[in-house]
Amino acid sequence: MKPDKEIRPPKWADILLKWFCSERVIETLQGDLYELYLIRRDRHSKFKADIGFIGDVFSSIRPFALRKLWSKHSNTNAMFRNNLKVAWRGLVKHKMYSLIKVSGLAIGIAACLLISLFVIDELGHDKNYVDGDQIFRLINVEDNPAESEKWLSHQPLIAQMMKEQFPDIEMAGRLIPYNWFAGGDNQVRRADRKQNAYEDSFAYMDQELLEILQPKMVYGSIEEALTKPNSILISREKAEKYFQDENPIGKTLILDENLEDPWVVGGVMENPDERNHIKFDFLLSLTGQEFWSGEQTSWCCSNYNTYFKVAKGTDPELLEDKMTFAMKEQYVPYLKERGNQYADAVEEYRSYKLQPIGEVYLHSKELNEVLKHGDIGVVWLFSAIALFVLLLACINFINLSTAKSANRAKEVGLRKVVGSFRGNLIGQFLIESILVTFISTLIGVLIAAALMPAFNTISGKSLEMPFAEWWLIPSMLMLAIVVGTIAGIYPAFYLSAFKPIEAISGKVSRGAKTSTLRGIMVVFQFTCSVILIVGSLVVYKQMKFMLNKDLGYDKEHVIMLQGASSVGDKLDLLQNELLQIPEVMNVSASNYLPVSGTRRDQNEFWVEGRSKIDKAVGAQIWRVDDDYIETLGMNLMSGRDFDKSSVRDSTSLIINQTMARELGLDDPLGARIENRQGWTIIGVIEDFHFESMRGGIGPLALALGRYGSVVPVKVNSKNMQATLESITATWDEMMPNQPIRYSFMDEVFASMYEDVQRTGNVFTGFAILAIFVACLGLFGLSAFMVEQRSKEISIRKVLGASIKMIFNLLTVNFMKLVAISLLIAIPVSYLLMDEWLLDFEFRIEIGWLVFAIASVIITVIAIATVSYESLKAAVVNPAKGLRSE
Amino acid sequence: MKIGAFEELVLLAVGSLGEEAYGVAVKELLREKTGKSPSIGALHSALYRLEDKGCLTSHEGGATSERGGRRKKYYLLTSVGKDAIIEANKIRMEFSKNIQGLNLGMDEA
Repeated sequence: MKPDKEIRPPKWADILLKWFCSERVIETLQGDLYELYLIRRDRHSKFKADIGFIGDVFSSIRPFALRKLWSKHSNTNAMFRNNLKVAWRGLVKHKMYSLIKVSGLAIGIAACLLISLFVIDELGHDKNYVDGDQIFRLINVEDNPAESEKWLSHQPLIAQMMKEQFPDIEMAGRLIPYNWFAGGDNQVRRADRKQNAYEDSFAYMDQELLEILQPKMVYGSIEEALTKPNSILISREKAEKYFQDENPIGKTLILDENLEDPWVVGGVMENPDERNHIKFDFLLSLTGQEFWSGEQTSWCCSNYNTYFKVAKGTDPELLEDKMTFAMKEQYVPYLKERGNQYADAVEEYRSYKLQPIGEVYLHSKELNEVLKHGDIGVVWLFSAIALFVLLLACINFINLSTAKSANRAKEVGLRKVVGSFRGNLIGQFLIESILVTFISTLIGVLIAAALMPAFNTISGKSLEMPFAEWWLIPSMLMLAIVVGTIAGIYPAFYLSAFKPIEAISGKVSRGAKTSTLRGIMVVFQFTCSVILIVGSLVVYKQMKFMLNKDLGYDKEHVIMLQGASSVGDKLDLLQNELLQIPEVMNVSASNYLPVSGTRRDQNEFWVEGRSKIDKAVGAQIWRVDDDYIETLGMNLMSGRDFDKSSVRDSTSLIINQTMARELGLDDPLGARIENRQGWTIIGVIEDFHFESMRGGIGPLALALGRYGSVVPVKVNSKNMQATLESITATWDEMMPNQPIRYSFMDEVFASMYEDVQRTGNVFTGFAILAIFVACLGLFGLSAFMVEQRSKEISIRKVLGASIKMIFNLLTVNFMKLVAISLLIAIPVSYLLMDEWLLDFEFRIEIGWLVFAIASVIITVIAIATVSYESLKAAVVNPAKGLRSE
Repeated sequence: MKIGAFEELVLLAVGSLGEEAYGVAVKELLREKTGKSPSIGALHSALYRLEDKGCLTSHEGGATSERGGRRKKYYLLTSVGKDAIIEANKIRMEFSKNIQGLNLGMDEA
């Protein structure tokens, strides 16, 4: 029943009303609504009446009006059961197609599930603080025209200075997470025991930062734990390790045999939450610490990460600006006073940013973050890839459903004749697709559980399947319904649109040609696959390039003995003992090594007498011994190596080429340069990589010095095991209380590029999944084609076509699609990978070979996929195919 | 039979409309008497509920063109409905006794 001409409420609202109302109420309710509509229109205006009508409709969505969707007596329920039955029979009848649909979707869903767990985990870092929204970390920004730099280390006085100046800042605290003095790693023992154990989780922390972060305590109180100088806060796990069940407060720990500086336990905290970025087992108090005299009130020496807790409702951007201004007010004059060229740059380009603590984990890629962190880009990339794999699986479903449409046409026609409306049919097909996705989801969850260990290895996480979680089943049901709807909606509309007369009389096209839409979808699938293949090839090529590049030193066969500082003055003895082993060629001692996790520092150099004129050259000074260059196989270009016996070599430097260039020295040998003291250059070494290859090679100076906590040993041996045993024996003799720890330099080097390796693995994993899903679809389509054309093939064979001709006939169409995919994928993947390689200072040329390999791989796989069915069809006996005619 | 305050108003309106009580008429009357109009959803909801409780009976009829030819649903107050109104009034009286200076115009006798 349509309303009269004059009653024209908003149509959609009327339809909505009809849709949710039961038969019992619709007539009288709708009548009242129309009447009210007219009353309002006469009293006010059409617009007011429309609005009022919509309001009435929504106000009627109440229990009294709703139709009972699942009532025992209604027809819908019986129909629904019938639909389910038909859907199930259809699945069982076409086993192969069902298998393809289900397995493709299952893989897609498994990928989605794994990635979702990964993303949830990544996003869940640093979220469990008291008043977490008020805690910020301070970032330095320098936006000079050449490049924008951001970093985290601040001068020691910044925290307190800002807190005193700005009442918005409630608390301020500092952290030194670096490998610095007692920070980083140490040999640890109780003062009353002899045996050392190695621990690598030390950081310096202010008492006030502890109060900001509010860790749970086991012994002692948060307000007291780090108040005393030289107090140390340890985690529950370490307390149990060193003190078993007793209360360790007031007990003493000795770090690195440093008896001058014992540490007294001021408290025990719960084991750090894995998902907080600050998770050290040992926190050393900064109370009363002065690493050198006057440090705490000086503007020099940025070593401190600075955290603030601000008052509720503070606008962080406003505070940033105020703090920037306050910093420049003092820092710029300080620099100018000392004639530092840098003052202008600070005045011009420096500013502060406040990073919310919840963003620390995912948004610190550009900050030289030393703590373990993720990357929001990776989260996006993963999510995108997961959705793509799911989309590819949906495409399979759509392709196969529409391809098989001719077989359903008769059913659709009959149902329409008997009285089904289009809506019922759409519902029926959606029920079918949701049934398929439901089965797929079950299997997908199992696949995800099976792949979990592999996925954890790739992503570097330790995720678990949330089988115990209440939300798993509802969310999986939701997923099944959503995916089922996405995959099923187009086929449902497509299939339900058949005209009954044509459908029953068999006039519906038999889909002998792959339709344009199916072609586009296949192209899309293969394009994605090719991009992923190219991606993984390029990542691997870059990785291999970095691992095998001539670095300017020799990282092979170098064993790094750690923790040698506790040998104390017996270091020479240890080195000599080691040299007695026949396979040992060279032994050095230095904390500064060209791999990550070793010491770094930063100095400003000028050519002597030009400190007020030139811009400083920022350079590392590495303290090494006279065997260092030889042990690491570095290349002395000119000049000489250090001579330990010579007194004047205490102020000699050996610099690298970059430093010579930046100082503007054409003939560096014998030149005098200065930082806080004067130096003479005695040699130049060839540039070698000491930072990640993402950056370039910076200026570097080597000076004689004794910082020997790491002893690199160069060996030349066929039998590494035996050599290691000899080295261990020597060590144990010298250091009975400290077990030997060593690592291989090439392995440490490789670990610097773990994230690249990881990216590569992720690409490869998903490439395999995507290819698999795409091939499933292709296989299904080719099987369908062959089925459709079996009579044609038989007739051709009877008329004398060869197997080869038939084969070509069947495969050429698919090969065209694959070729188009390649044409699209190659430029796209080139651009994407070129973008990724921009991260690296030293990078490969992508080259044509990568694309050739990817093309060959995809073509071979596609041909193999299509061949199976095509060959089967080509060799079949024509009599079989024509029997029914 | 216990009824809510809004239900009581609806019963009163239906009762006072006599033979002419259907959705829109009840709504208009309530607007007139109370100064605010209930939403149509709330009103229908209450009418159906009261019918279920046995306070009202209904019959359909009287389609008009303003209603796009839809039939009206006429409601009549039943004896159960009348009892419910009386009961609700009693409760009100009980309370008003204990409130100083509140006279609801009922004789104490």
